[in-house]
Amino acid sequence: MKGSILPFEKDLEKSILAFLKTGLDKECFEAVLIPHKIPSDDNYAYLLIKDKTLLQGASPLPPVIPVQGAKAVSALTRWGPSKKKILAVMHPCEIRATVELSKLRQASLDNLVFLSFDCPGVMPLSGYVKNPGEGDPAYQDARQKWESAKMRPVCQTCSEFGAPASDLHIGLLGAEEGNAFLFPASLEGKRIMDKLGLETSASSDGWEREVEKLKKAREEKRRGAHQSLQTRVEGPDKLLETFSSCINCHNCMRVCPVCYCRQCYFDSDAFKLPPENFLARAQKKGSLRLPADTLLFHLGRMSHMILSCVSCGTCEDACPMGIPVAQVFSLVAENAQRLFNYVPGRSKEEPLPAAVYREEELCEMEKPYLETYARTGERDASASENK
Amino acid sequence: MPQLLKISKSVDEGTKAFLEFLLKEKKVCGVITLRKIHGDQGIGYSLITRPDDLEEALPLFPLMPANGGKILSRLTLRGSPKEPVAAVMKPCEMRAFIELIKRKQGSLDNFVFISQTCPGVYPIEMSSGGDLETLASRYRENIQLGENIPETRSACRTCLHFTPPNADIIVSLIAEKDLDKSCSLFLNSKKGEALADGMAGERREQTLDSPELRLLHNKKKEERKKLFDEMGTEMRGIEGLIRLFGKCIGCHGCSYVCPLCYCDLCFFDSKPNESRPISYQGDLERKGATRIPSGTIFYHLGRLAHMSVSCIGCGMCTDVCPVDIPVSTIFSRVGESVQKIFDYRPGMDVEEVLPFAVYKEEEFQEIGEQ
Amino acid sequence: MNNGFEPNIIGFLCNWCAYTGADLAGVARMKVPSSLRVIRVMCSGRIDPLFVIKAFLKGADGVMMMGCHPGDCHYQKGNFSARRRFMLLRTILDNLALEPERLGLWWVSASEGQRYSRVAEEFANKIKNLGPSPVRGEIFL
Repeated sequence: MKGSILPFEKDLEKSILAFLKTGLDKECFEAVLIPHKIPSDDNYAYLLIKDKTLLQGASPLPPVIPVQGAKAVSALTRWGPSKKKILAVMHPCEIRATVELSKLRQASLDNLVFLSFDCPGVMPLSGYVKNPGEGDPAYQDARQKWESAKMRPVCQTCSEFGAPASDLHIGLLGAEEGNAFLFPASLEGKRIMDKLGLETSASSDGWEREVEKLKKAREEKRRGAHQSLQTRVEGPDKLLETFSSCINCHNCMRVCPVCYCRQCYFDSDAFKLPPENFLARAQKKGSLRLPADTLLFHLGRMSHMILSCVSCGTCEDACPMGIPVAQVFSLVAENAQRLFNYVPGRSKEEPLPAAVYREEELCEMEKPYLETYARTGERDASASENK
Repeated sequence: MPQLLKISKSVDEGTKAFLEFLLKEKKVCGVITLRKIHGDQGIGYSLITRPDDLEEALPLFPLMPANGGKILSRLTLRGSPKEPVAAVMKPCEMRAFIELIKRKQGSLDNFVFISQTCPGVYPIEMSSGGDLETLASRYRENIQLGENIPETRSACRTCLHFTPPNADIIVSLIAEKDLDKSCSLFLNSKKGEALADGMAGERREQTLDSPELRLLHNKKKEERKKLFDEMGTEMRGIEGLIRLFGKCIGCHGCSYVCPLCYCDLCFFDSKPNESRPISYQGDLERKGATRIPSGTIFYHLGRLAHMSVSCIGCGMCTDVCPVDIPVSTIFSRVGESVQKIFDYRPGMDVEEVLPFAVYKEEEFQEIGEQ
Repeated sequence: MNNGFEPNIIGFLCNWCAYTGADLAGVARMKVPSSLRVIRVMCSGRIDPLFVIKAFLKGADGVMMMGCHPGDCHYQKGNFSARRRFMLLRTILDNLALEPERLGLWWVSASEGQRYSRVAEEFANKIKNLGPSPVRGEIFL
């Protein structure tokens, strides 16, 4: 892969902003979708910026993800593709989620160009907002060291911090002091770099080596984290314990980029039951937790969105009770997605697993089922006895 | 004058014993109350029908994981229970339920209410991974001082309606000195008296009003004025609004946990509220930059327009906010002004009609003819 | 103070009284400010408080609500609701110091072309003196 060296004498963010400003000047794109600090200085919000002077205060590498970028792109393009060319600066997980949303017809990728960067992770939102003075240096530290216990748990074990499905990528790993590596990851990206007169002659070998190294380290860490998490959540008892402090606020569902339904099934009439239903259930078991069906909501939501879950961790950020939602969902997501050999967001063309099928597949799952349940003779006889 | 039933057990054990009595004597078929969830890990509401399960109940626990009024509304949306059910609710939860009933989102039939003179609750985040026992004992120690309990939510510290007028039975908590040894239940209605008939304990006539309650009311009034004045200087103008609500991430948790926000599909989550591309383009041309998704401030102002007239100040909104916006303070302050204009007291009387469901031909005469 | 500032004023006029009154003013060539953009609703009771809030957040410098005099509503009681909703909006704006003077409610009947012209001019001048809305240009809404 070939790219360009982007020098950033003092400030990486300023260099990226300068690059964006030049892009606007030379009409490579007409507007930029990028995070920007809000007036109270303790959080960030996505801005669609056309006016170059307003670009100055923008933040291409924010220390938190308050709103999942995919949700912002969906808000912009749900009703139709953008008429102007927009460059969106987002974390890799946000880009992957946007790709998933486009497959779900909730966003349009036309006229949209993505700029991603090597992501060191982001900080837990609630803690950052309470004390940005402490959060900012912690984030800078994570950017230097690429290992930080202060980043969100799902970020610490993320191995997808690279450049899938984006058009331009800024490589920070393995860059020499004071430099970053900018390369095109698609034809559109190349077109933009050409228009900006940025040569693509520098080799990315150094960057690729470092990415491979970090990827392996992260994968190892994730294996360990998942093993330990599995023992803490498996089985009905432990699962219930994990979700015991859930207050059913449904924040996790509402901030999730993949959960795009305006009215969630679990908020619909289907759950508006007569009092007899609740009383009967309470009488059967002795008591019934209210609001009812907490675990049903989580497992149900899981079954609805897990195949597109990009492990972005926004759900855990929004949970007021500190339940490790993202970690649990990420664990299940990896297993479920592996079943279909699917990685959400890695390709715009790859269809959603639930939308396609092959006549011959998952035989290895079928076989044990047949062996256990399709035994003739003795099993049939005992079954008819029970009736 | 109401009857007072004094049970010689600690206030927690006494209340539990009373609930057990109600279930065992089949005076009610179920009790809705707070209880330990999954072995001390959390706390939540439970509809208990088996008396043994009351062992895990924590009826007076100083936490509000959900507004009980919302839970009762869910339960009675499609009808009322066929046999009586006892609901142990804090005063604001009762008020929320009454506001919901006015909106046809529930029914009072076959319910008996057991409430308390409420010293307030802790923010819900204090329950996660915490030691419920320690929290409870810290709370009990402070109750008898008759002051605002440290670390309780600001919505609670500034609440002026901590004595529920509509409950059938009221557990006396505020400023009680002997909570370890005695449990005092005010039988506040005929239903309440009938319920308590047969329960062992000392009876006498006693008024609910007391100098301690009045003193605490004054303290809370002072703190409320201070909080509202401070917030008044912060929430001035569009800059103030943006400073307060700018960090909102649009999760809409506040409306979801709000008892008054009962709409299945909130207007602000619905199709008509989604901006079309031309709207974004227009904003972009006009201002040079625009926030995506749009409508953060619109959501909060709109929600104020929709529910501030019934805001009962329960504080769930602030509790659930992932970025600690003081939603409850802002909404309560605006709500108070709106309620004053219409001379409306939310949650006090189920017969008092909602301000926007009526009008008077002669009112606000100065409007419109200038 | 004015600097040739032309305000953007949105008027929600009920079809039967206010809009007809405005029409009459136009036909009779009475002076009506060009800064007032009229949106016709069937009844002042149709004016959703969200319309007014949206107008202000989109940068309107002033908003006028107009309908039939109380007791004369074409649909009997719509304007009574409008009056209560106006009080709600004014209280919210006042409490948040969002310049409640920028919102007004007037009863204008179908024959009151003169009245329409007068209140519209007066309001437009008031808004001109208040200056542009501070919401204009706010990006983080």
